[in-house]
Amino acid sequence: MKVNRSDMFVTAIALLITLSAAFMVMLVMIFIMSETPGETLFYFFAGPLTNKYYLGNMFNSAIPLILTGLGIAFAFRSSMFNLGGEGQVYAGGFAATAVCLAMPAAGAFFGITVSLLAAVVTGAVIAGLSGFFKMKWRTDELISSFLISNALIYIVDNFITGPFDDPGNNLLTTSKVAEQFWFNKIFPPSNLDISIVFVVIIAILAFFYLFKTHQGYEMRMCGVNPEFARYGGINVGKYIMLPMLWSGALHGLAGAVYVLGTSHACFKGFSGGMGWNGIAVALIARNNPIAVIPAALFFAYIEAGAESAMINADITIEIASIVQSVVFFLITAQAIYNFLKYRRKAV
Amino acid sequence: MSSEGFSIPIIHNSISIMTPFLLAAIGGLMTELSGMLNIALEGLILIGAFFSVIFAAATGSLLLGILLGILMTILVSWVFGAITIYLKANVFITGLATNLLASGLTAVLSFHIFGTKGVLMFEELPPLPSLNVPPLHKIPVLGDIFFGHNVFVYMSWIIVVIAWFAIYRTPFGFRLRGTGSNPKAMIAIGLNPQNYQMLGILISGFTCGLAGAVLTLNLGAYVPHISSGRGWIALVVIYLGGKTPFGILGAAFVFGLAESFSNYAQGFIDIPADFILAFPYIITAAAMVIMSIVQNRNED
Repeated sequence: MKVNRSDMFVTAIALLITLSAAFMVMLVMIFIMSETPGETLFYFFAGPLTNKYYLGNMFNSAIPLILTGLGIAFAFRSSMFNLGGEGQVYAGGFAATAVCLAMPAAGAFFGITVSLLAAVVTGAVIAGLSGFFKMKWRTDELISSFLISNALIYIVDNFITGPFDDPGNNLLTTSKVAEQFWFNKIFPPSNLDISIVFVVIIAILAFFYLFKTHQGYEMRMCGVNPEFARYGGINVGKYIMLPMLWSGALHGLAGAVYVLGTSHACFKGFSGGMGWNGIAVALIARNNPIAVIPAALFFAYIEAGAESAMINADITIEIASIVQSVVFFLITAQAIYNFLKYRRKAV
Repeated sequence: MSSEGFSIPIIHNSISIMTPFLLAAIGGLMTELSGMLNIALEGLILIGAFFSVIFAAATGSLLLGILLGILMTILVSWVFGAITIYLKANVFITGLATNLLASGLTAVLSFHIFGTKGVLMFEELPPLPSLNVPPLHKIPVLGDIFFGHNVFVYMSWIIVVIAWFAIYRTPFGFRLRGTGSNPKAMIAIGLNPQNYQMLGILISGFTCGLAGAVLTLNLGAYVPHISSGRGWIALVVIYLGGKTPFGILGAAFVFGLAESFSNYAQGFIDIPADFILAFPYIITAAAMVIMSIVQNRNED
């Protein structure tokens, strides 16, 4: 595949403009909201990098984002929308927990494999449902995936706070899964665990699948121009289902990896933001699986910065949502690209 | 009212329950007719809900609160519209951005102004005036169903009629629909389709601001994420209503009835509260799938 260098340059500059705008908005907000803006800014930008604990946790929170970002990239590459990420992550994490709790004495390898599988299947079925409705009856998958996922969030809530609630404490969480299922920590004292290696491998595999295999080619073709793909003899219906299945599977996996690697239990609302941020990550990465990795790190950095500023200074963590919304607003703005291209031709 | 059995209070309640998503759906219809799917309704309702109640509390006037709340919502919808239309961004992504902005902004401002991200109570707020016409109240059944609601309920019906008139009987309506169905023809007759798309979005800002005001001023309080899916229900209502104002009125009533019934059922059936919360999403998803099956049948 030939890559146009000037296009890449324009994309990079446009991305830079978007991200700078987001940071500008954040600066303005911190100066308005904070009594001690200098201190707040320091904690926001430098906080995540000041010690091993914060740094490791920042990388750790990028793990689920890489998976959800990949999940969205699969869907977007095929022109499918999966707005149900939050619920798919949540249900996936819950399925993994339930499996582990059901067999506390199982061997580590067997237990982890089965619980990851349960999460992947759960996520794939949920997203696949929207794909199926779309394929069969042209039901808008954007709305249906959101509605199904939101209903599921409440139903999983009910399981966590009801039949699966840990009676040993007052927190809204299930009991912890048996210790042999926990992923190994690789950067103590932080939470960073070994799954980051596997997640990076998954991103590379996803890249090869999308760009170097026949199926990946057909899937992208259906995304670029379904009519042309149909004319070329591609089974378009299959590529409505398949990307949704992949997307859901990766979201479910994200939930399981978070539970087994970080929280070791399924607590109420743990997936909050992971699905939406996955969309932003995929957009920043322009749906390229490899670029998803730095994009997820960038988002993890914003979240970690907001958290550090919340703990050490006087702002609230939702300031990160506003910064993220600015990224969302501008990331697809075609006018920025057109303007830059025009400028380059003029020069 | 209870002497009439259980069905009349359920219908009476469903009429007030449907008002916020009826209003949001009418505005969303205007955006839809101009050729764009407006998934920002949810966030716009939240903005309207937050600002109308805090302005009402700050000024001590319901009317000022409503007006300023609507103004803020129109402002946010303008940002959404301007980036989508003039910067040519993807309308789904900017819609998501608007929802994200709304939930972030309301939480940050609530924390900054009131020092809490929880429920904001405004006990000194006067209750919303309701329409009571004693002689009409005496009409059996209908009197109990249609009277005694707050003024927003009647305002929403007037807006449905105005929307119908604007869409089918005015040049504005023809041009709005023309923008959605054939923007090139609009350009050919010397009109700028972008203006009509922008109007479609601004009108949705107006009605969502009103929808949000209904939610919080009725309660006299702001609850985080009080919009709780009503914007999404409104989106589905637009489709179920066949993209016509009166169709939307009917579809919104069906949803209001379903929610009213589930509230009622809570009283005597032991359903977990989470399932009650999930119910609107399940029924909306089911309605959407059934509708697309029916449409598919008709086309075959």
